[in-house]
Amino acid sequence: MKSENFLLKFFLVAYLVVFFGYLLGPLLVMSVTAFNSPSFPKLTPWECLTFEWFDVLAQDERIITGLKNSLIVGFGTVILSVVMGLAGALMLTQIWPKMRATYYTIVIAPILIPGVVLGISTLVFWDRVSVMLGFGSGSFFQNGIFLTILGQSTFIASYCMLVFVARLQRFDTGLTEAALDLGASNAQAFRKILLPFMKPAIASAAVLAFLASFENYNTTTFTFGKFPTLTIELAQKVRYGIDPSISALAFIIICLTVIGALAHEVYRRRQQLALNNGAPLSAVTGSFQLPKFLRGNPAAIVLVLISLGGFTTIWFSQVYSPKECILDVREQKRILQDLRIQDIKRKRLEQQKATQGTQSTAPANSSTLPQSPNKGAFGGVFAPDNLNKETGKKAVPQSPGKGAFGGVFAPGNLDKTGPQDKKSD
Amino acid sequence: MNIANFFRNYFEKNGIGLGTFLLVAVVFWVVVLIILPQLSMLDFSFRHHLPPPEMGGPKDVYTLEHYEYLILGAPGADTSYNVVDLGVFGRTLMAAVFVTLLNLVICYPIAYYLAQTKGGGGYTRILVLLLIIPYWINEILRAFAFRIIFGDSGLINETLLVFGLIDNPVDFIRANVALYAGLGYAYILLMIFPIYNVIESLDRNQIEAARDMGASWTRIHWRVVIPYAKPGISSGCTMVFMLTAGALAAPQILGGPSSLWFTQIIYQWFNQGGNWPRGAAFAIVLLVTCVIIVLSMMRIFKVRMGDIGK
Repeated sequence: MKSENFLLKFFLVAYLVVFFGYLLGPLLVMSVTAFNSPSFPKLTPWECLTFEWFDVLAQDERIITGLKNSLIVGFGTVILSVVMGLAGALMLTQIWPKMRATYYTIVIAPILIPGVVLGISTLVFWDRVSVMLGFGSGSFFQNGIFLTILGQSTFIASYCMLVFVARLQRFDTGLTEAALDLGASNAQAFRKILLPFMKPAIASAAVLAFLASFENYNTTTFTFGKFPTLTIELAQKVRYGIDPSISALAFIIICLTVIGALAHEVYRRRQQLALNNGAPLSAVTGSFQLPKFLRGNPAAIVLVLISLGGFTTIWFSQVYSPKECILDVREQKRILQDLRIQDIKRKRLEQQKATQGTQSTAPANSSTLPQSPNKGAFGGVFAPDNLNKETGKKAVPQSPGKGAFGGVFAPGNLDKTGPQDKKSD
Repeated sequence: MNIANFFRNYFEKNGIGLGTFLLVAVVFWVVVLIILPQLSMLDFSFRHHLPPPEMGGPKDVYTLEHYEYLILGAPGADTSYNVVDLGVFGRTLMAAVFVTLLNLVICYPIAYYLAQTKGGGGYTRILVLLLIIPYWINEILRAFAFRIIFGDSGLINETLLVFGLIDNPVDFIRANVALYAGLGYAYILLMIFPIYNVIESLDRNQIEAARDMGASWTRIHWRVVIPYAKPGISSGCTMVFMLTAGALAAPQILGGPSSLWFTQIIYQWFNQGGNWPRGAAFAIVLLVTCVIIVLSMMRIFKVRMGDIGK
């Protein structure tokens, strides 16, 4: 019996490790590639510790503009969806009972409707409205930010509504009735009783709405018009050529997320600790004592360690320069490449001798040969003399590119239905 | 009569100002943002693809052209059915079902474990926190991470090469391994939480009782936990299925060159083909098919709509 328990526990721990490895591993790998010097983000081989990708990121105009647009859209979406979500949740408690199921289905549906459908329908509908009202193209109703906010709010409001419904279930309607009996107007009762009660839910709904808006791609990709958000810019970059500055951005976002989550956890724990000890809530939320704050609060300790680590990294990045290391690696690669090229040349020579006379098979053979440099980690991107090799070896400089993107995202690939398109038109 | 009564009560309860405000907000959301755009898209999908000046003119009549195109292909094509688009459509749905089932299998043990150890100290909370963090990272970046890992010179290929397990890089992208891994990854949280929420409310005595009666470990799950967790499971499956079938970013970034996702075709009609009505028609087909699949699944497993989103 005991050994069976032990086995079960072992499997459980192993499963947890694998599961969380799957969950967190990709993020970790991506973060680390931000500090590696090759221009294609990869973990192995580790070449040089570098911070240049953060500089590249900071100088990327499109990312900066995208971020601005994202913030504007996020702000609009938060306001619109929190208001609509709250109204929707309050309506759910009051609506005519026969209508309730239908109403609930309608307002919950946007969560399940594919994002592309929402984006398309928003685009088509407002385009029509614009035409019907007699506006030309480029009118307000075709403005990317306006459309994106509406399209995103359609389903983000449903998320918000779910948050509010959960909170409203714990609301004691007696409170509102008491206020009304004591002579408060409806608006007063709403503002002084219900809103304060809903405050935590409003805060979490707002955060949720902002995050959902910030990371939305499916809907935004149809509605953004001339105002691409950060996510759209990222998608363009990732589809048509990637470099580690995206990893750098990912690293920053991951850090912010982790710090945010830990800060929330610290706050929650402090409250709970205090409540367990019977202290009034105001006592904990007000004062801030470092030693006490750290005691028995692992999340706080981790948070402090992370911020310390962050500062150290920033300081280190100011003094550290990877130039020498990069030059070093480049030199090594060049030597390695030269050796390989000589190796290949020798092999080809031998092969040509062996297959002399049967010329037709020679090109086929030579095309398989250049694969061997590809086996090495770095496909020879940096070797300066890559480009002036014979035709047979042209596969060598091309292979890293192909390897990286697999040719999937070559613009030509996407036009597969192109011919049919022409036929039908 | 009833409706008039309802409105009188409603305004008495909320007051004119607040009542009107709530009503306006809800009507704006439900009618202007949800219902009208969908109807407008439906209407649009039955129209010819016309240049803007001819819109509303004599040629602007209803047609089934775009639906016919999806099923039969372009007029005068070699095949009698639109093999390409229908194939992509079928493959998308199959893949979405596959990813959903995969997610369910992966997530059920975790959800069960988390729900059972709830209150067992802070570390469960940390695990939940770890679950949520990836979900807050941008969808594009998550897909990008999988590109780094599964690429030709990605982590997995490099590792396998170093250990000499393979001679040439395996093309995970072409084999769609990266795509399925990325899609499964993207919606894990949406599978775990509904199941977790339901199992959390399961009375542990039921499990104890079953165990005392001599039920085996698998039997307990099959007869006690899973029937109880059914609303959560179907809610999670519905969300994952709909989101996977409607995913666009992951297939664009991780999809192999030979396998399109149906949403990508819709995207092409809108952004490259420039044929909006056809894109709208395809979107309608996707939406209606997904809804039919989900509703019939819910009917089969006897789950109500109200359970979704809990």
